[in-house]
Amino acid sequence: MQKIVDNHPLKAFNSLTLTLENITNKVMTSKYNPFYYHGALPQYYLWVLYLSGLLLFAYYIPTIDNAYFSKNLVNAWTSVDYITKSLPFGGVIRGIHRYAGDAMVITIFLHAIRVWFTDRYRQYRWLQWVSGIILAIFVLFIGQTGYYLVWDERSLLLTRMTAGAFEAIPFIGSGLKTWFLNGDQITNLTLSNFLFIHIGLSFFLLFGLWVHYLRMTRPVMTPPPAVNYILTAFVLICVFLFPINSGQMADLNTQPNAFEIDWFFLFPYALLSQMPVGAYWAVMVLGTVAITALPWIMIPKQPAIETAEVVLNKCTGCSLCYKDCPYQAIEMVPAPAGSRFKLLATVKDFRCSGCGVCVGACAFDAIDLPDLPDAEVNAKIKALLEAKG
Amino acid sequence: MSDAQKTVITLICERAVEVNVDGGGACPDVPGMKVIKFPCSGMIQPLMIEAALKNGAEGVVVCGCQIGDCYYREGNRMIRERLLGDRPPTMKKGTDRRRILALWLARPQKDRFISESKEFIAKLGSLPAPETK
Repeated sequence: MQKIVDNHPLKAFNSLTLTLENITNKVMTSKYNPFYYHGALPQYYLWVLYLSGLLLFAYYIPTIDNAYFSKNLVNAWTSVDYITKSLPFGGVIRGIHRYAGDAMVITIFLHAIRVWFTDRYRQYRWLQWVSGIILAIFVLFIGQTGYYLVWDERSLLLTRMTAGAFEAIPFIGSGLKTWFLNGDQITNLTLSNFLFIHIGLSFFLLFGLWVHYLRMTRPVMTPPPAVNYILTAFVLICVFLFPINSGQMADLNTQPNAFEIDWFFLFPYALLSQMPVGAYWAVMVLGTVAITALPWIMIPKQPAIETAEVVLNKCTGCSLCYKDCPYQAIEMVPAPAGSRFKLLATVKDFRCSGCGVCVGACAFDAIDLPDLPDAEVNAKIKALLEAKG
Repeated sequence: MSDAQKTVITLICERAVEVNVDGGGACPDVPGMKVIKFPCSGMIQPLMIEAALKNGAEGVVVCGCQIGDCYYREGNRMIRERLLGDRPPTMKKGTDRRRILALWLARPQKDRFISESKEFIAKLGSLPAPETK
């Protein structure tokens, strides 16, 4: 009966998290504790990014030079410069787009750390863990394409490093490089491809989030407004304290070799500059596989879950357990012929966490956890009361 | 009922505050308290609380994790709504609600659990005797 509560490997981290949250609760009450909305925080920043990105998209020109305006050069860099310096509040919008991206990476990291520390990532939650890893990789890649788009010297260097890294992959490498640059070398078409990747993949995130929320009844997607104001304030403080500026305009005839690094998005490039390309890919692929497989690596012998069982002749088909189940593990099916009721609850074992919320939802004792049936609970209550008097 | 026979039943989530329980289900830190652990406080049925009171419990303590934090996502919120009558199944109207205490405490909050439940037991003594039996 004693499960993994007290002996899972991260017990100390779990206590640490709970102690920390206990302190936060004292400051801002459990209703506004941002740790209780850890999954909704990056989701909020995603909306901020969509909105600020839409405004930037209106003025951005995805070319490296523009033959049609040859007298005064109009390209990605000058359009970004125009947005930042001439457009009213353009610099603020650009800053929000940058810092909201950084904040999203931070909150995704906090989210992952919390579910890991509190042991909420394995067994019936494997889909959430794996889809979360894939989402995080896409968020990083989308953020990196954002750094290519401003087309300063750093963008040029990152583009060349990425193209080189892609080219080094066996078999598909040259194809990937051609896809990435939209041709054999950097041209005007390259930046339009980057813009497509940046925006197109960010909408793919919505599909990924749909998978991420599958099997979650009532997923918490929106923090309370008060928390949203704090999140927005964090971004705005950064925007005004550390305004964003581009570097020098990229020049294809030069080879920049150093850049200021944004550790939230560009850490893979720091790695890439320190080691051979082959080793870089090995580290990246093995690291991703290891993190993805964490639910199975951490606790190799996980005790099987005692899934809930419906007592067929007691179920009235009232759907209360179906509504309350937090993992959508209960399905209402038509009752067999001859039943007095229309519906019958059935349990999908592969989704069931064995938490017993359905037992609490049932007023007819018609659903049970096999290792603690409610008849046994009631007998135990009686026995405990009779023991002393 | 004499003072010696007072028993308070605690229905508690095994992931919420850590309560010492001896072999007989009694809690040595709080005299007169008997504890039953559940995988999640969401499993506690209003029927169980009623059964405990009907069978002569002085009071019932329902304890889950802090609201907002549930290992199984929503269990403590569910039982809280059931106790408040906002989510079916709810408590029977005749139930003496003064004899029910709901606590939402995280794992490290053991001291708070002991002090709150002692205070609750002291308060129970001043209530008129239950009508059952």
